[in-house]
Amino acid sequence: MTTILRTPKGWPSILLARVGAKDPTDLDAAVKAGAFDGLRKAVHDLGPTGVIATLAASGLRGRGGAGFPTADKWRVAATVDAPRRYVVANGYGADPAVLTDRTLLETDPYAVIEGLTIAALAIGAGEAIIAVRTEAGAAIRGLEAAIGAAEEAGFVGPDILGSGMTVTVSVRPVQGAYMLGEETVLLKALEGKRGQPEQRPPYPAERGLFGMPTVVQNVQTLATVPWILVNGAEAFAAIGSKASPGTILVAVRGAGGAGIAEVPLGTPLRDIVALAGGPKPAAGAGAKPPAGAKAGRGKDGAAVAGLKAVLVGGPSGGLLPPDLLDTPYDFDALREVGAHVGSGSVVAADQRACIVDLARLLTRFCADEACGKTIPCRIGTRRISEIGDRIAIGVPRPTDLQLLADLSADVVASALCDHERLATLPYASGMRYFRSELDDHILRSSCPAGVCRPIAVAAGAAH
Amino acid sequence: MTFIPGLGIVKGMGLTLRRFFEPKATIKYPEVKPDIPHKFRGRLQLLYDEYGALKCETCFQCAQACPIECIDMGGIDTKGRFHVHWGAPETYGERREESALRRSGRTVPDPAYAHFEGIDPDPVDGILEDYDFDPKQMLQILEATQAAYGHLPVAALKRISHATGAWYAMIYGTASYYSHLRFERPEDGIQAAAVADHRPTEATFLSSLDTALAGGRRAGAGQATGPKPN
Repeated sequence: MTTILRTPKGWPSILLARVGAKDPTDLDAAVKAGAFDGLRKAVHDLGPTGVIATLAASGLRGRGGAGFPTADKWRVAATVDAPRRYVVANGYGADPAVLTDRTLLETDPYAVIEGLTIAALAIGAGEAIIAVRTEAGAAIRGLEAAIGAAEEAGFVGPDILGSGMTVTVSVRPVQGAYMLGEETVLLKALEGKRGQPEQRPPYPAERGLFGMPTVVQNVQTLATVPWILVNGAEAFAAIGSKASPGTILVAVRGAGGAGIAEVPLGTPLRDIVALAGGPKPAAGAGAKPPAGAKAGRGKDGAAVAGLKAVLVGGPSGGLLPPDLLDTPYDFDALREVGAHVGSGSVVAADQRACIVDLARLLTRFCADEACGKTIPCRIGTRRISEIGDRIAIGVPRPTDLQLLADLSADVVASALCDHERLATLPYASGMRYFRSELDDHILRSSCPAGVCRPIAVAAGAAH
Repeated sequence: MTFIPGLGIVKGMGLTLRRFFEPKATIKYPEVKPDIPHKFRGRLQLLYDEYGALKCETCFQCAQACPIECIDMGGIDTKGRFHVHWGAPETYGERREESALRRSGRTVPDPAYAHFEGIDPDPVDGILEDYDFDPKQMLQILEATQAAYGHLPVAALKRISHATGAWYAMIYGTASYYSHLRFERPEDGIQAAAVADHRPTEATFLSSLDTALAGGRRAGAGQATGPKPN
């Protein structure tokens, strides 16, 4: 079970507000705590256009990693002429190290169901699907129980709250590929096809599941929607940064342990890393953290060694140096510095880790998980990972760094989906911020962290 | 025939003159593009990698995409794991001597068929009934079939293809994509080994991430306890 990290007082709690509930699937307790108030408001007061207008005013952006404005997506899906529409909640949580979506589904299934129903009503969809990883058995059982209870109480199903509208909510366990976290791939899986992404545009909001307009939202986005309707768009826009308001779940991992925390978007990375107890950036490489700082547990001397890099965004994330710890954690700022929100993972790597080794591992994983549809992804990421292997074992070619940069640029330029675009990030950010460490590997055949074992002969060859 | 001097050249020039006024087939290529069907892909050719191994992964995407279904494939897939085929069996790329043998009327020992195993069709028929022969629910059908047989026999896939009307290529493409679906009995272990070779699992990724964060392979057994128990 994942631990939920304590956040400082004053940080808002939207997604994890009902975490303490004894039985998350107990409908009466949830309703008493405020569940389905947003749905009532949406049905009785706002109506579909009102809901979308409220979301537009709140500035809510998709929590799946790309940060697309939710209201725009819903508006498109609602206006496209089609016989049927669908809403899909993406609770797949592709990153194996990140359990945020699963935890949300386990602790607060009603918020997701409520958000899903509001979305379905807003765009006029009759069918709503929650896609969950098959491994998350507890979440699936909880969701099924919750949907059953909500249907009996009239919150979902036929004639919602006496409005005469029908939304069928179902849970679909899916498994078998990392790529299922990508929206078009997930839709393919729901259609029973090979999971390969589709070209966009047309976006799923125009032509998605079975060719019908489909709104695909992360479960966190959907769980936020009821809160916005109840508390108002202004209250939501006041949380977090201006361009991307609200909170998001992050999976933090540092010297002090790992866990999930709800942080307002725009929080500096420093504060997020501190949630997991550091490691604190040291004054000098390998030095002890300054006195008075909240050090890690310091069980074995190495754990408190200084921070070397922060991996933001999961397997295809960027490696950021300690200088950039003041970067706000939001969609645009992270993209600018060469990382991304992605799966919502923030991993602190201390001085023991080697950047080349880390980037190599991440790129290898991305290359292995490529679905094989497009050449830049299938072959390009593979070649990138091979260049990294050459650097790590100490047999780089003189042109390798240039090749890496060119290939990354080509892969990004010709990419079909975000997977390949972002799979270049570990090396791209590594070259941008840790160039000296790469040079050590290539020119001096040495690994500063002592992880890789470059062949010494290469040193003579490179000089 | 009497020889008339100059007739040959007149005939020839006549043809030249006729061609001169006919519409031309040549186009100014980069500026003018020929009008070709949008699915035209030029000459089809299988590629080999630098080690001489066939690059084709028998994913059938080309066969699926082909509008006139001119692509046939047959044989054992590139990893030598199981039999695949698309297209009529007669049009397999079979060897010349086998073809001669077949035409002579004798039985051909065809290794391609050795991997077809007979199955009891009742379970798969029941599953198809349950899912209403609906190809939209292919993933559930395949998962249920695997639960019934322990793996996905080619014969079952063919039966599903016949019953649902979905192309075999589509079903094979779906079944070969998802890592939890398998074409062989788990006890045979061939595919499992091949998959483990080619695709490290998520667990492998997580453990190697742990290793990388804790200082890589250098750490060894002495420093095995990383600071991040997850």
